[in-house]
Amino acid sequence: MAFRLLTPENEAEAIRLLRDAGPAASAVLAGGTDLLHDVDFGLIRPTTLLSLRKLPWKELHWHDGRLTIGSTLPLAELESDPELPSRIPGLYTAVRAVGSRTLRHRATLGGNIARCAPTSDLLPTLLVLGATVRTVGPAGERDLPLAELLVGSRRTTLGVGELLRSVTVPSAPSAYLWQRVRPVNDVSQVGVAVARDGRGGWGVAVGGVLPVPRRFPSAEALLSGSSPSREAVQAAAARTAEEAPFVSDKRASEEYRRRLVRVLVERAIANVVRQGAP
Amino acid sequence: MSASRELRLTVNGISRVIAEVPDDERLLDTLRWRLGLKGTKEGCRTGGCGACTVLVDGRSVLSCLTLSREVEEQAVTTVEGLAEDPVGSQVQAAFVREAGLQCGYCTPGFVMALTGLLREDPRRSAEELLEELHGNLCRCTGYVAISRAVRSLTEER
Repeated sequence: MAFRLLTPENEAEAIRLLRDAGPAASAVLAGGTDLLHDVDFGLIRPTTLLSLRKLPWKELHWHDGRLTIGSTLPLAELESDPELPSRIPGLYTAVRAVGSRTLRHRATLGGNIARCAPTSDLLPTLLVLGATVRTVGPAGERDLPLAELLVGSRRTTLGVGELLRSVTVPSAPSAYLWQRVRPVNDVSQVGVAVARDGRGGWGVAVGGVLPVPRRFPSAEALLSGSSPSREAVQAAAARTAEEAPFVSDKRASEEYRRRLVRVLVERAIANVVRQGAP
Repeated sequence: MSASRELRLTVNGISRVIAEVPDDERLLDTLRWRLGLKGTKEGCRTGGCGACTVLVDGRSVLSCLTLSREVEEQAVTTVEGLAEDPVGSQVQAAFVREAGLQCGYCTPGFVMALTGLLREDPRRSAEELLEELHGNLCRCTGYVAISRAVRSLTEER
């Protein structure tokens, strides 16, 4: 359980320290609300933690209808952006689904992405919105679609010494719906995100699946226009339920999740339809 | 091995220099066991119950999931410092007036979370405050008296 804490003063030092510490023995600390829990339960045993707290990575700005979020910005500050609820409703709801306001004062967007939990409440929404991420590392900067970063629980394609720098999210009509035992400070059994782009195309993504939240292109292909028919919506929901790689675990059975996702997809689409044109 | 170093914290307005604090120590443990501030309670230690809530630079945080060294040189407020805070003393008075507690174990967490919420945005409605307080668990009251204390705070405006 014991570890030493390194707190680099700048980006170059952070990359160097992380590379030198080596991926096997080190972990990156942003808000720590998920990481320290895993340390306590012995799920990971890092000997070095690299704190990002001194890096100037907490920006939040809109540009051409896109929101860029620094990776170490606390989620509570993202949630408090006055334009977020109207411009990216799905992201606002998803952020508020994480922990409690008190937890979100420390939890970060970068931490949630890099921890890559199958049950993440943020990943489904970021995926349907087509979020991109910027990383920094020994080889410089890299911009890539979020989907290319995600591998499985606590596993990403980040290289040795590479850090998540920021996330950029386009605005779009969008919704996130979840089901869980306790409304806050709990892990969702299923999370469903839906978004519609300016060209009438739809995105459908699900969390609570293995190995990581993902989109369902064959369900998305059944939807088009600003208000798809009732038959199309039901077909897309059924297709998602059929294809989603659910398993049974301590939180819910596979069968329950399959029934649930169908309802949540239908409701999320209806929610986005009600939001009207982007 | 965990390194131990000196830690500088401002707690309830007093600058403290604490010797030999291990890197992996939580704020909850520094407050309780090094500074003797046992008003901050350990509940679940997994970020689920809110009993360990304290303020860091005026914002509520879970001290069980916060490394002490991560809040170095920031201002920590615990329930022991609540009466010095104008918002905190109002919250405290509301809990006393409405008897918003039974055993009292969860109370420091509730009053600190509520103080943080009101300091962030004093215009929050009773409904908004109660929704944000879902992160705090109470096993005795059924939340009835706590809700009454929250409502009495917003009715005072």
